[in-house]
Amino acid sequence: MIGRYKFEIGCILVLALAFLATQAEFNRFYYFAGFAILQYVMIATAWNILGGYGGYINFGTAGFLGVGSYVAIGLIEWGDAAIVWQVVAAAVVAGLLGLFIGYFTLRLKGVYFAIATLALAIVLETIVNNWDFVGGAAGISILPPRKPELLGILIVDRKGDGIFSNSKEFLFFLMAAMAIFSVWVARTVERGKLGRGLNAIKDNEEAAECMGVPTLRLKLIATTLSGALMGAAGGIFPSYMTFVDPPTAFNLEFAVNSLAMPMIGGTFTWLGPVVGAVLLGTVQQIAIVTISSELNLLILGVLLVIFVTVAPHGIVGWFMKKNK
Amino acid sequence: MIRILANRMRIWLVAGLVVSSVVLSGSFINAAQAQKGPIKVGFSMALTGALAGGGKQALEAMKIWRDDINAKGGMLGRQVDLVYYDDQTNPKNVPGIYAKLLDVDKVDFIVSGYGTNLIAPAMPVAIDREVVFMGLFGMNNNKKWKYEKYFQILPAGPDPAVGFSSNWFEAIKSFKPKTIALVAADAEFARNLKEGAVTNAKRMGLEIVYNKNYPPKTADFTPIVRAVNAKKPDIFYIASYPNGSAGIVRALAEVGSDAKAIGGGMVGLQFAGIMAGLGPNLNGILNYDFYVPEPTMAIYPGSSELIKRYQEKVKTEGLKTDALGYYLVPWAYAYVDILGQAVNAVGKIDHDAIAEYIHKTKFTTVVGDVEFGDNGEWTESRTIVVQYQGIKNNDLGQFAKPGTRKIMLPEDIKTGDVQPFNALR
Repeated sequence: MIGRYKFEIGCILVLALAFLATQAEFNRFYYFAGFAILQYVMIATAWNILGGYGGYINFGTAGFLGVGSYVAIGLIEWGDAAIVWQVVAAAVVAGLLGLFIGYFTLRLKGVYFAIATLALAIVLETIVNNWDFVGGAAGISILPPRKPELLGILIVDRKGDGIFSNSKEFLFFLMAAMAIFSVWVARTVERGKLGRGLNAIKDNEEAAECMGVPTLRLKLIATTLSGALMGAAGGIFPSYMTFVDPPTAFNLEFAVNSLAMPMIGGTFTWLGPVVGAVLLGTVQQIAIVTISSELNLLILGVLLVIFVTVAPHGIVGWFMKKNK
Repeated sequence: MIRILANRMRIWLVAGLVVSSVVLSGSFINAAQAQKGPIKVGFSMALTGALAGGGKQALEAMKIWRDDINAKGGMLGRQVDLVYYDDQTNPKNVPGIYAKLLDVDKVDFIVSGYGTNLIAPAMPVAIDREVVFMGLFGMNNNKKWKYEKYFQILPAGPDPAVGFSSNWFEAIKSFKPKTIALVAADAEFARNLKEGAVTNAKRMGLEIVYNKNYPPKTADFTPIVRAVNAKKPDIFYIASYPNGSAGIVRALAEVGSDAKAIGGGMVGLQFAGIMAGLGPNLNGILNYDFYVPEPTMAIYPGSSELIKRYQEKVKTEGLKTDALGYYLVPWAYAYVDILGQAVNAVGKIDHDAIAEYIHKTKFTTVVGDVEFGDNGEWTESRTIVVQYQGIKNNDLGQFAKPGTRKIMLPEDIKTGDVQPFNALR
């Protein structure tokens, strides 16, 4: 019985570890950097549902993430909504956007699909640039509430009366919970009918269709799921950054990272994006502290070239001898 | 053979990744555990990107201040160290840099980078940590927050958005204008500035015939200038950042304009490189400034000497930065100097006490006496209005002499009379 739920128990243990880490009161920068790494775990995992299992290369990650961010900002500006509602609303809106975009673009394949998703991010950025309510092109600063409460429980309080002593610890824990949930979703997809169907689409869409795989329906579910998870990751982003402008929220760096991390980790399994995101995210955060923030993309580019050439199935594939 | 080589390559690759991660992690931990030493002042600065022209000269001025204060015994008897990172004129980088400064570098004080757009993303960090935050040329950054520990050095008065352009609108009264067109970069600083200009225009009873923002990445400004010209305004007010300012001046040279006064809030036209590059195309532009090499600028006696020291430093050290330094050097020196004076006066690192002291004190600095109001802005406006006149070529030397940027207002330091834009073209 326990063996059947080994993965779920592991998830709960990792979440408990994340919670303990917040109670250890490390240097606050570790939570700041840890958040960025966990956010990439979530984004890379979300990307992999469509890109890794289904073989549809999505360059519009920044679009979904940006929509999530701006839904959260809209809710903050409209009525100081709690962060949980920001994340839920961001996931719902980005999921619906995924469904909508999926319906119109999934008839495209290969490079045409990639270009269409890239265009999505640009179109959305242009809309936000001209939407003054959420700050327009000038951007907007957000100050997370000093003493946020949820269901009457004090979440953050500097004097120690809350569960967490500062907002960075709380955001780190929330991001950890969301990242773990996204990995659980990806694993469930991978091992279920949906994952097998998407793999069939990846191998040969026409053959899959002939064998009775409902390709359009599966792809729509994948775009919706992938979009919702990316949107949720975006929903928490404004509270973490405290300043968001369109070039930040719709940054192409998100698209490049979300694609490179599964590629480096391995796209055929849920573990690949996690390994890729933890490795690359950590190296990037270390580079920010020690060398220069400019070096981030250089590291990414070099590793991507190396892995695509030497280990096309990524690190996980390498250890599973999949590259032979 | 090939398989053996491939296997060895894999092993070396994994080993390389592990070793680099360990080495880098080691530096990460060392950086995070930085020990107490000198008093550290941390900031982000635009050393690359659109505002680098200002950021680099600000940094050099701050280094001069650091050397000066260290020669006098430092802060609280400890030497002062500047810890800074390049924000690349990108607001996205700023929150991370300040988190790093406060948590990894363990700086004692933070001050802002150059410019409103780079101060805005740092404000929530300073507020969250409840630390004193000195701003360098921020336009109304505290309007939303009303943070009591924020102070900034832009001399635009207690209502900066309006105070910044009030002298400019005073200067154009001689043209008896009836209509105005306003254009601004879609960015925090320019939008705030245009908002103030609209207030001043309405006070003067001007009819606004054009009022639009342009995306900060705009490259070709001729369509914008043509659209403004189609409205035939008497006055053309522009709030722009360096790239936009240079682009608009070039577009004006190409398309022309019948407006009697053009300019207002064009950042970047004060930078040596941009002035030399645009040369005679600047003639007629009526713009804001804070310090120009006119004989009446003796109101800031300390500034002249500081600027000479800066110019000497640029020459002797061969620095690739603004050769003149009129625009930012005195102000960048002053904003950290005020912090230094306050810390030494309070006698301890107590941000509440330091903020309280700054609020109630009149500071004597290289930019004269400075007092801050409740919102951390200057209690009086000292923005000057200059008109570019008699520029003959692209020689930088002419901008170091009096006559190319004559002061139109304030009256007590006036060195020329405002003329219609086309009369100087």
